[in-house]
Amino acid sequence: MKNRLLILIGKIIVKLLKLMKRNAGNLPGIILWHLSGQKSVSMFKVDCPIIAVTGTNGKTSVTNCIAQLFERSGKKIIINREGNNLDTGICSLLLRYCDMSGKVDADYLILETDESHVPVVYSQLKLDTLVVLNFFRDQLDRNGEMETLIQKINGFCRTFEGNLILNGDDPNTARLGKANPKNKNVKYFHAEPYAFATDKIFEASEGRFCPFCGEPLEYEYYQYSHIGKFICKNCKFGDYEPYMTASGIDLEKPVFTADGHEYSPKLNSIYNVYNMTAVASAAKLYEIDEQITDDVISNYTVNNGRMENFMLKDRMATLNLAKNPVGANMTLRVMNEMQGEKELLFVLNDNVADGLDVSWIWDINFSIFERVTRVVTSGTRAHDIAVRIKCSGYDAEKIAVRPDLDDAVEELARTEGRKFVIANYTAVQPTRSALKRYIAKHGGKSE
Amino acid sequence: MKTIKILHMYADMLDLYGDSGNMEIIKYRCKMRGIECETDKYSVDSPMPDFSSYDLIYIGGGADLEQQHISADLLKCKDGIEKAYKNGTFLFLICGGYQLMGKYYRDADGNDIKGLGLFDYYTVAPTSRRKRCIGNIVVETEITGTPVKVVGFENHGGQTQEVKTPFGKVLYGNGNCSKSEAEGYTEKNVIATYLHGPMLSKNPEISDYMIEYCINREAETPEKLKPLNDKLENECRNVMLGRLLK
Repeated sequence: MKNRLLILIGKIIVKLLKLMKRNAGNLPGIILWHLSGQKSVSMFKVDCPIIAVTGTNGKTSVTNCIAQLFERSGKKIIINREGNNLDTGICSLLLRYCDMSGKVDADYLILETDESHVPVVYSQLKLDTLVVLNFFRDQLDRNGEMETLIQKINGFCRTFEGNLILNGDDPNTARLGKANPKNKNVKYFHAEPYAFATDKIFEASEGRFCPFCGEPLEYEYYQYSHIGKFICKNCKFGDYEPYMTASGIDLEKPVFTADGHEYSPKLNSIYNVYNMTAVASAAKLYEIDEQITDDVISNYTVNNGRMENFMLKDRMATLNLAKNPVGANMTLRVMNEMQGEKELLFVLNDNVADGLDVSWIWDINFSIFERVTRVVTSGTRAHDIAVRIKCSGYDAEKIAVRPDLDDAVEELARTEGRKFVIANYTAVQPTRSALKRYIAKHGGKSE
Repeated sequence: MKTIKILHMYADMLDLYGDSGNMEIIKYRCKMRGIECETDKYSVDSPMPDFSSYDLIYIGGGADLEQQHISADLLKCKDGIEKAYKNGTFLFLICGGYQLMGKYYRDADGNDIKGLGLFDYYTVAPTSRRKRCIGNIVVETEITGTPVKVVGFENHGGQTQEVKTPFGKVLYGNGNCSKSEAEGYTEKNVIATYLHGPMLSKNPEISDYMIEYCINREAETPEKLKPLNDKLENECRNVMLGRLLK
């Protein structure tokens, strides 16, 4: 009875917000969280399999692709597309789709889930499959320390017996495969080295030591950050049989092969290969039709500031989101791999969702800059990023600080040539808008 | 001119919140003035260095797991570090590095990690891992002889107590303990602080204080440092001061 009352209250709040034309993304969940003694998803009855995707980078992409696999197979799915990925967001989502008894009607639930909320949500709802992509330093000041976060999910995995799809090339995620020795459903995905893999680590990162015996991990190669083929020579952590392997990776085309099938994705980054290998693993597990999997992986693209192109008059600008050093270092690499001179706009905010601490910019390796003729900085911490780039040895005279975004875009587009724009989490949408305002005023086009 | 010799300890393990950036900044400021600066790294199981041969020893902060990993190793260095410090080597210590130079660090489960005991303070972590001092912080220090407002970011659970000579007065943020008045620990050749950011990024006077100390510590006639163009750094600090000290 109590559950029915909570559902009724929740549904009324959703209705009211709708009448008021307000976004019901999180608020109903927050209210039910309080009313239910912090168990905001416990009142729902879900009989269908739930697939959750978690990790620092790539959650949204992978969640959307897995959802498409099922959607194109004619299944009825529920997905948190807007990225409301905390327990309260998931509660708000399910409120919209359940009947008055709390029963949720769908064939599959595909839920992007915040790393720190996996144990909370799935101690209340039965999980069929957990996909874990990677763990990087990200908004550490919100989550406490990385180790605490991994411990939380590890604690959940200790009693979890469902499918666990893990990035086998990230020691931080691969270790979860050993949390429950009784779980026979642990599946690792892995990628063979791509053209820019290195034998030395390139960027500051986590996970240099074996979490089981404390010995340094040895790497055959690093793809980016601490992602790569690793092994602990002492206790053999890292020695597993992959469930899905990406090979023949050529980002120029781009193509890669997984499980004997060649894919031609639209996005040409090594992250995307990892993300799509995770998607291919889910497709294999749920026996999705090969043609559908191929369509999803080959057509996936994003329009939200992830390698998005804009023409500022006749000047091409590529915008990429970087919420942590790994993302920013990848963009710098893409910049460097490109011939010719270029200019960079870096937009850095320190709003709550970004993490108030901006020291992560010091883990970005700006010393690799090649043929970067000018830098413009913007955002609420425009000066911090300017100082950081200056101290990497870049000529301070070539750095223009323009905290106002419209000023910054004007400054960037003032000169000829290729442009790159890096923006952190809350800066991406305002930056897209500023680029579009520039185009509306001066001409050009956006994708 | 003298070459500054720096020993960066546990750079591979204690490097949270851009702490290695402090070394990049010191090197940058030396390079801009034509001062030679050599950095050696020391980590677990490196051969025991001659600590006294360095002008500056730097230790950053780390997550609990890393701190546990290094504490036993650090204790092996106790005599060497103590001798260097008494000989006038500068100790620059952030967060975990700061805590481990005190008597002990009591973690959230009540286990004591033994510190080097160079200084009398000790640190106790709250039993709840959720209780942390997190946020922007402004500290006013007089280490350079004139008051300087230092801006950084703190993120620590540990509450450091019995600090006799703090680094500065807290104008915004928490400091050594939750909502405390004092931050860090200092002597003429010690700066120990919770400030990340990295600490030196917006506070060029502090970098220069250490550089000047290092080049002059064995000199007959002390030299003054050539001023640098710190426009960006000063603007950066002023933006934060304007925001925090309203």
